[in-house]
Amino acid sequence: MKELLFIACLALLASTAFAQLKRPRGVAISKAEFYQEGRDFQCLDGSQLIAFEKINDDYCDCDDGSDEPGTAACPNGSFHCTNAGHKPKYIPSSRVNDGICDCCDGSDEYDGRVTCANYCKELGKQMREELEKQRALLLEGYEIYKEYVHKGTEARKEKQNKLDELRTQRDELKAIKDQLEDKKQELEIPEKEAKDKHRTEWEETKALMKEEKNKATAKEAFDELDANADQIVTVEEMQVHQEFDIDNGGEVSAEEAREYLEDHPQVDFEVFYDKIWENIKEVYKKPGSESSESAPPPEQTTTPPPTSNEEIVDHFDDLPDEEDDEEEFLEDEEDLEDEDQEEKVDEQGDDFKIPEYDEETKKLIEAADQARREFDQADSRYREVDRELTETEKVLALDFGPNNEFYPLRGECYEFTDREYTYKLCPFEKATQRNKHGGTETNLGHWGKFDGPENRKYAAMKYEKGQNCYNGPDRSCYVKIECGLHNELRSSAEPNRCEYEYVFASPAACREPPPATYDPNHDEL
Amino acid sequence: MWLLLVLCGSLTVCSAVDRNNFKTCDQSGFCKRHRDMATGASPYVVLLDQLTLDHSKATVPLMNKVTKVQLKLEIWSLKNNMARMRVTEMEPIKQRYEPPVGDVLIGEPAQDSLEKLQLDGAKAVFGFGSNKLRIQAEPFLIEVSTDDVPVMSINHRGLFKFEHYRLKNEGKAEEEAEEGNEEGNGEEGKAEEENKEQPEEEEEEPGMWEETFKTHTDRKPHGPSSVGFDIAFPGFEFVYGIPEHADSVALKSTANTEPYRLFNLDVFEYELNNPMALYGSIPVMLAHNEERTVGMFFLNAAEMWVDIHSNKADKSTFSKLMEFVHGDQDIPQVDTHWIAESGVIDVFLMMGPTAKDVFQQYSSLTGSTPLPPLFSLAYHQCRWNYNDEKDVAQIDENFDAHDMPMDVIWLDIEHTDGKRYFTWDSVKFPHPAEMIANISAKGRKMVTIIDPHIKRDTNYHIHQEAQAQSLYVRDRDGNEYDGWCWPGSSSYLDFLDPKVREFWASKYQPDQYEGSTHDLFTWNDMNEPSVFNGPEITMHKDAKHYGGWEHRDIHNIYGMYQQRATVEGQLRRDPQQRPFVLTRAFFAGTQRYGAVWTGDNTAEWGHLKMSIPMLLSLNLVGITFSGADVGGFFKNPDAELMTRWYQAGAYQPFFRAHAHIETKRREPWLLPDENRDVIRDSLRARYRLLPYWYTLFHAAEAGGSPAMRPLWVEFPKDKSTFGTEDQYLVGPGLLVHPVTDAGATGVSVYLPGTDDVWYDMDTSQRFHGAQTVYVAVKLNKARSRFLIPVFRRGGCIIPQRDRIRRSSSLTYHDPFTLVVALDKHNSAKGDLYSDDYNSFKYQAGAYIHRQFTFEHNKLTSKNLNPAGSFSTPAWIEKIIVIGVKSSPKAVYASVEGTGQSSLEFKYDDTTQMLIIRKPGMGVNKDFDITLS
Repeated sequence: MKELLFIACLALLASTAFAQLKRPRGVAISKAEFYQEGRDFQCLDGSQLIAFEKINDDYCDCDDGSDEPGTAACPNGSFHCTNAGHKPKYIPSSRVNDGICDCCDGSDEYDGRVTCANYCKELGKQMREELEKQRALLLEGYEIYKEYVHKGTEARKEKQNKLDELRTQRDELKAIKDQLEDKKQELEIPEKEAKDKHRTEWEETKALMKEEKNKATAKEAFDELDANADQIVTVEEMQVHQEFDIDNGGEVSAEEAREYLEDHPQVDFEVFYDKIWENIKEVYKKPGSESSESAPPPEQTTTPPPTSNEEIVDHFDDLPDEEDDEEEFLEDEEDLEDEDQEEKVDEQGDDFKIPEYDEETKKLIEAADQARREFDQADSRYREVDRELTETEKVLALDFGPNNEFYPLRGECYEFTDREYTYKLCPFEKATQRNKHGGTETNLGHWGKFDGPENRKYAAMKYEKGQNCYNGPDRSCYVKIECGLHNELRSSAEPNRCEYEYVFASPAACREPPPATYDPNHDEL
Repeated sequence: MWLLLVLCGSLTVCSAVDRNNFKTCDQSGFCKRHRDMATGASPYVVLLDQLTLDHSKATVPLMNKVTKVQLKLEIWSLKNNMARMRVTEMEPIKQRYEPPVGDVLIGEPAQDSLEKLQLDGAKAVFGFGSNKLRIQAEPFLIEVSTDDVPVMSINHRGLFKFEHYRLKNEGKAEEEAEEGNEEGNGEEGKAEEENKEQPEEEEEEPGMWEETFKTHTDRKPHGPSSVGFDIAFPGFEFVYGIPEHADSVALKSTANTEPYRLFNLDVFEYELNNPMALYGSIPVMLAHNEERTVGMFFLNAAEMWVDIHSNKADKSTFSKLMEFVHGDQDIPQVDTHWIAESGVIDVFLMMGPTAKDVFQQYSSLTGSTPLPPLFSLAYHQCRWNYNDEKDVAQIDENFDAHDMPMDVIWLDIEHTDGKRYFTWDSVKFPHPAEMIANISAKGRKMVTIIDPHIKRDTNYHIHQEAQAQSLYVRDRDGNEYDGWCWPGSSSYLDFLDPKVREFWASKYQPDQYEGSTHDLFTWNDMNEPSVFNGPEITMHKDAKHYGGWEHRDIHNIYGMYQQRATVEGQLRRDPQQRPFVLTRAFFAGTQRYGAVWTGDNTAEWGHLKMSIPMLLSLNLVGITFSGADVGGFFKNPDAELMTRWYQAGAYQPFFRAHAHIETKRREPWLLPDENRDVIRDSLRARYRLLPYWYTLFHAAEAGGSPAMRPLWVEFPKDKSTFGTEDQYLVGPGLLVHPVTDAGATGVSVYLPGTDDVWYDMDTSQRFHGAQTVYVAVKLNKARSRFLIPVFRRGGCIIPQRDRIRRSSSLTYHDPFTLVVALDKHNSAKGDLYSDDYNSFKYQAGAYIHRQFTFEHNKLTSKNLNPAGSFSTPAWIEKIIVIGVKSSPKAVYASVEGTGQSSLEFKYDDTTQMLIIRKPGMGVNKDFDITLS
């Protein structure tokens, strides 16, 4: 009964609509009203009125090509294929009777040179199956998409909450840190004063001790020179000491001796210490010793101590590794060595050891140390939270799609391997490539932005500023995203040198399909 | 293609040509020896008393007075108003290379009668046609005149020099080395004093027996062998030809530059306005003045240098007989000096007297361009590289999606399995035959690249067979020549050997070239040959070829033999189908084998501009089927340059877009819509005019006339056009002025011909000739379009097909439109040639050739091939007559076999254009159409 009714309907359609809408070849039903038999035809652009017989007479009369929809006469005409059983479509009328079957109903080829099969039904069936499959995929994918949206939204909320929490925490920690810093600074003042005082006192003491020591050495020398122990050193007594032979004449002349004695014929210890000693102490040789006491220790000048080397290496690391700077730096290095050296020599010659701090000072230091430790701890807690906060802010600033559906891809990486390379996509981070057989990874681009075509911004991602190509641009990677039930890197290509193109499938790209609008059994017209 | 991608990788800077890679004349021993000669230094005397003469030929000894070495001078009179002068050694100790007859010359040139007019001990005068050839005995001089006007003079400046083969005097050389130069010279001086009659040895000069350039040493086992001569063109200021150089069409004086060099070389990023050698060599020169055009062809395949000097003719050097009638005026003269490293002096003098006569004369010697299959005149889409089958399919689909016609998709070297030609990359191109079938389903074709270097891989079948059959060029020690090219270590097939060409041809059989089909054609690149690690990026000159010839003897002809072998392969594959092979290297005769392109140009405005003179130079010397890479090969063109280049390319004979692998994609639909649409228009303009192009190529085959012509070919008396190279003619009927400057909004176009009228192709606006008009080429926002100035010449009828299909083969049955552009006398003529566009049946008469004449308000179509057996459903859908002063009252058609009928028409007052609606007769019918 139903069938009968359907046939009746068709018959009705055929007798009414068709009769009224009889149309020239290549005209769509929607345009049929413009082509009415027996009436002059107005070119659709309104430019001309031509006889109905000139429609499809294989000569182009209208500038817009509208008089020849069913022939190839006009360069800009359109031919309408009805394609019953499948989708109707327009093709350029230049494809009419060119020997190639363009419409699935074969209606574009009618001059008998080729015979086109009508395969619209098969194609329609195929298309519907394909659409069904696509729809099923979208439906299933859409479910996952919703999960992603949920996950993403939740995660974002969580992050947002966390962000607030972290901000509070950071502010608290900052207050604590600041407070401890104040306390630290407060305690460091008396500490510094005490330490300074201790050092100043020690410097004074040390100077005295040095003076005493020098005088003792001078006395020793004086006694030595004073061969007859009469507490007077004379020219003659000086002449005994070969080290005073200035001109290397083989003996110490009276003049030479006198010169050392600053023209005194003789001196007592007081004069000796005040006037003479400073001048001769470098020359004077204690009998039995080859080198003078003040001579520097051998070898020390050429080999820098290993500790200073380490410092240099550290220093190196801090420098920007540009060649120009390197040279400069090498000079610095030498300077560094020298300074180090001097200090060492100084310390070597210094037999005096600073005494321990007194109990009072020790207590002050102890208190300051304690304050510093507390501050350091508070500071590092603060920094940690601050870092976490920055990190969270960064994540929240990322575009995870209008509904956060791409959030679950963050921190993940996906790979695709062809015959030569393994390509990797780490969404929101980078795209890379490495040879299958090893070698280093090449960066094809850092996360840039969603970069789909107009109105479909989230259909593609752009990774930019990858490793530079020799004589060329920085590498970049364009990632087309399609709906898939799993996250999967599906292909990679390099359509232009150093411009890569990935195809990536993800549920994040699945959307709800529009409701099915047709009845697969009754769609033939 | 792209020499040095590999080498560049190791260089820090890689821009523009590295001139140090290539020799200057000073660095080339033989060139320097000739160029350093003082004027009048040539010590030759013609022994006229020993002259022998037959019907068409005179033979006479030519003696070097110093060395007493005798040469043989032969003079022929040839049919078609030509003469030939050949100089060889009388008693050679070693043969000199001359290209076998049939390889460059299509046959032994037909001889004509040489009439003895005068002969005594001092001079001989011969007549041929309306020309005279006068030989002066001492100093040796040959003067040629037409109607007693001197046009050529050989050895005019006394630079003739012929280095005879000699034995290396080992003993003397050693002695000299021991005793020093001074004493050696002294001895020679003494000998001269003692006996003046004794022949002297020619002075030894450096580079005669060994020559080193950069790290390469040329052993020169046969010693010096060069030949050189000068030829003057009295009365001429303009000479043309001797491609290939990136330089002006009118050749420049080389007085202060290097000579023009002819030596096939692979030059990376070649420089403009430079006489450096490029990929091909054609030793043919044309001289033109208001009175006549003459030409000369120096048949020699060795490295060649040509010096050109502008001069004034010295009237006293011409005999009374040849005196000018010009009075006391200075007469211009071009002096040329030709220097070749080996071979003989074999010069063809083409006496014109018109340019078209010279084209015909030259094509009678070396052949003309056979009618190409129609698809090859359509648009070609190329890139290094279309990466895989999917890429190819997308290119194909995109042309359709954007409604742009396209005929051929090309695959560069990356399609092969590791640069092993005749193979496919099995991953990127797993189903080549299927891929080609998908493309050819739309009437399209494909082309793959096949280079002459063969990867030395023992698992590669071509290499195995080449080794087993001993088909490679040998190095000087007799080993297989081993050079570096795309595949790495490679050997080079010796295409001079008929056996090698046979082998090569057999490789195009479908069972040999797996994955190929009948719709696959060929591109021969790198055939200079390019050798990345060789001297000057080519083969060592002491390498050895078939017949024992050295590479130095045959260098410039090598590439032509490869293309020829490829053509033979395609013919063997499809005896009924016309071949198509593109080559980069070329020589005289290459026109018989296919198309040539100007190699690796750059995406710069200067290169677009230079493409015009480069192509004009090629067209003047036989290579009419030529083009430049549209868009420029190296670097990235901007949208404007790309657009302008398409506009120019659409009006040049070989129309192919190509791009380097490191450039960005630039297929037309990737450009902004505005540019894309203009490019679509350009492609359509090309396809619309394909019937005209095809007719022009028919004429090129028949008479050697090029499709692309300098203005002076059609306007020989208009001196202002003699140096024109920013505009040109396509056939007789279209004048094209490509826009070659960035941001141009208008160009000045010179319309020649005092008696001519021209019509703007777009607007049909009429202009008188002999004036310069300003043409806007970038219209304002309202119609933001790039225009290219193209003018129809009044008096020409041009056939076209206005229906644009996806590819040219889909238009075979489509109707024609005739565009009749009237001249001042309201008349016009033209022709249409048509056939099956693909087979050789036209050679048996299966074609139609119609002559259209418009006179006295009547258009007549006459059959030029009445015996023709070709039938076609194609008909005439429209006739446009431009320049009709007033509307006819009626238009009648009278068609063969039917009566008279009235035709509908439209007339537009403002454009003076008459459109006759749907005459409808078959194109192969005689008809006349009358305006009344």
